[in-house]
Amino acid sequence: MAKDKSAGEGLSRRAFLKTCGAAGLGAMAISFGVPTLLKAQPKPIKIGSIQPATGPLAVIGQGQRRGNQMAVDFINAKGGIKSLGGAKLELVLGDSETKSEVGRSEADRLIKDGAVVLVGAFESGTGMAVATLAEQRGLPFLVDVATLDDITQKGYKYTFRIFPTSTAFAQRGTDFIKEIMAAKKLSPKRAVVTYVGDAFGKTQGGFFIKHFKAANTGIEIVEEISYPLGIPDLSGEVAKIKAAKPDLLFPICRPGDSMILTRELYKQRVELMGIISPGSPGWYEPSVVRDLDKLALYVMDNVPWVNPSSPVYQEANKLFEEKYKAYLDTNTGWAYTGVLVIADALERAASIDPDKIVAAFKATNFKDHPMVGDAVQFAPNGDNKNATTAMVQVLPEADPLKRVKVVLPKKFAQAEFTFPAPQLWDRG
Amino acid sequence: MRRLYLLLGLLLLVLLLLPLVLDKYALGIFVMIFFYAYLGQSWNVLTGYTGHISLGHALYVGIGAYVSTFLAQKFGLSPWLGMLAGGLLATAVGLGLGFLGFRFGLRGVYFVILTISCAEIARLAVSHIDAVGSFSGIFLDFNPGFYNFQFRGNVPYYYISLGFMVLGSLAVHLLARSRTGRLMVAIREDEQAALALGVNSFKYSMTAIGISAFMTSLAGTFYANYVYYLSPNSMFGMGLSIDLILRPIIGGLGTVLGPIIGSFVLTPLSEVSRAYFAKGGLEGMHLVLYGVLAILVVLFMRQGILVYIKRALKPLLKLED
Repeated sequence: MAKDKSAGEGLSRRAFLKTCGAAGLGAMAISFGVPTLLKAQPKPIKIGSIQPATGPLAVIGQGQRRGNQMAVDFINAKGGIKSLGGAKLELVLGDSETKSEVGRSEADRLIKDGAVVLVGAFESGTGMAVATLAEQRGLPFLVDVATLDDITQKGYKYTFRIFPTSTAFAQRGTDFIKEIMAAKKLSPKRAVVTYVGDAFGKTQGGFFIKHFKAANTGIEIVEEISYPLGIPDLSGEVAKIKAAKPDLLFPICRPGDSMILTRELYKQRVELMGIISPGSPGWYEPSVVRDLDKLALYVMDNVPWVNPSSPVYQEANKLFEEKYKAYLDTNTGWAYTGVLVIADALERAASIDPDKIVAAFKATNFKDHPMVGDAVQFAPNGDNKNATTAMVQVLPEADPLKRVKVVLPKKFAQAEFTFPAPQLWDRG
Repeated sequence: MRRLYLLLGLLLLVLLLLPLVLDKYALGIFVMIFFYAYLGQSWNVLTGYTGHISLGHALYVGIGAYVSTFLAQKFGLSPWLGMLAGGLLATAVGLGLGFLGFRFGLRGVYFVILTISCAEIARLAVSHIDAVGSFSGIFLDFNPGFYNFQFRGNVPYYYISLGFMVLGSLAVHLLARSRTGRLMVAIREDEQAALALGVNSFKYSMTAIGISAFMTSLAGTFYANYVYYLSPNSMFGMGLSIDLILRPIIGGLGTVLGPIIGSFVLTPLSEVSRAYFAKGGLEGMHLVLYGVLAILVVLFMRQGILVYIKRALKPLLKLED
């Protein structure tokens, strides 16, 4: 027993020393080797993306994630953030479930996971919750898409927005309508505004009506019609429109009701000079354009659209089509731009310190983006001074995917606008 | 029973010390656990103890949130006081609703419909009142300070929500052991028998709905100053009404600890699974998991999780029943 034990001890001691030596050498090798490895490959910079990936806005939210991710891939393919040793970007994903409190909690999680900048949130409620959290935690937040003015009117230091506000939508929409009428020497007298009765429709409609009335266009809004989201039939509403005898219709829709509305206008033979949306979905989506076919033609929509002549857009759109079988539109385009603007700020900040990133945001002058409008520059309140919209029109073209064209402003136009539009039933 | 109190005391001590070791995100999860536990507890007073099923409790959350926020924005009133004002209005509304229901003997699904429709009416009404932001809701200003009920870090929110949960549960515990509480349970078990024994069913049902509405509305003020955004759909909608009753149902209806246990199970489950499935391509998987768990509990643990925990701890805690 005793012999065995001592033999065992002797052996183990020897083995122990050997192991120690080997481990020591190994540790030295590692401690010398690792920092050089780290130097060669800087730690990725994490960007937290909070989008409504599930819930009622899931389809849009997942598109937004793709827009964010594509831009991250684009920056990484070009060598990452050069001023930080070529550090790669990494998108960490949060899902707001289209609920404000979930968005807040997700943002907190992404910060814990090491996000240095947040991007999101599509829906204004979540945008507000995340903006307040960014202020509480002292971390920059870039709003890629969300319209309600309030988000940037709280005096927050850490929140920036590249998307146009509701006010900007209303002003631009009104200006475009004036421009169209002046160009064609038309003086319509009566208009009807319809809007879907959810938060977006009510706000977008309310702002537009207020601005339009104040703008002295000579066009009187004779009727305002609101209906609930998801309504299966609009015959009553369209009868009201017909009775009001408008020259113009200004609808604010969601994709479903825009189709019902147009078909009903056709059925009831409502005579109009044209349909001009002050800024809403429902008119430019491939599915809508394809399904409504001739009925969708000549509709105009005032949206912050992609700039077809921008090389950045062409490159991004090609990749987007290859990867996701969809084209870059107003929402995904801004999601893409959001990450580009963040990368630009990181490049100039040459740091991941939140206050240095904020300082870099303030000095932003970012021209190489895929959207309509001049360089992204932030006003003191954090809004993009040059955020703007374009007037797009659905024009005849064999391929439905090519029908949506920018017609105004002239600088970005792909085609001349057609106005007044032929009546819905006069289209062969 | 004494050992149970000892155990609960120990757990409370642990909870009190947690902010020393947890990061902001983890604290945020606890805030949501306490918040939903408190909401479940408030709902429990009415449905768990008197058996009148309310599927419109978001109504009172909304009233609490909107009243305190409105008073703070318009008159600079501290939300701590606004919270009481909201509570009083919620109580009045609850009593009005209760009067309609109990006076005319609405039972079962008919009472459910009454509660749902009142919440929906409130949601639609608030959606059209411009003074409270109509459809787009209210965006709160962020001015940190105790007076404003607003804080930079999560620690104050943690202790406030913990306080809500503990005091709320204590109140329900005391109520449950009082004469009033026992009469409420009598109404739940067999209203006809209770009436026959001379229990004033109307009076005790009204008491229950009044207390429940008051308690629920306080949570609304907390939510407003934690999330900083109120919208008619999120504050008065069916989604919240259902969210807030899931905890007591899963935990155990008509018990003081049920809503707390339910919240400690469900809230982290939804947070952790959401974080786990956060990678792209699995969007919504966490919701599926959440739904499956809820179904399993309802199928196999009809009286809630609490019963099983009690059974497991029985020898240790020397529980009576």
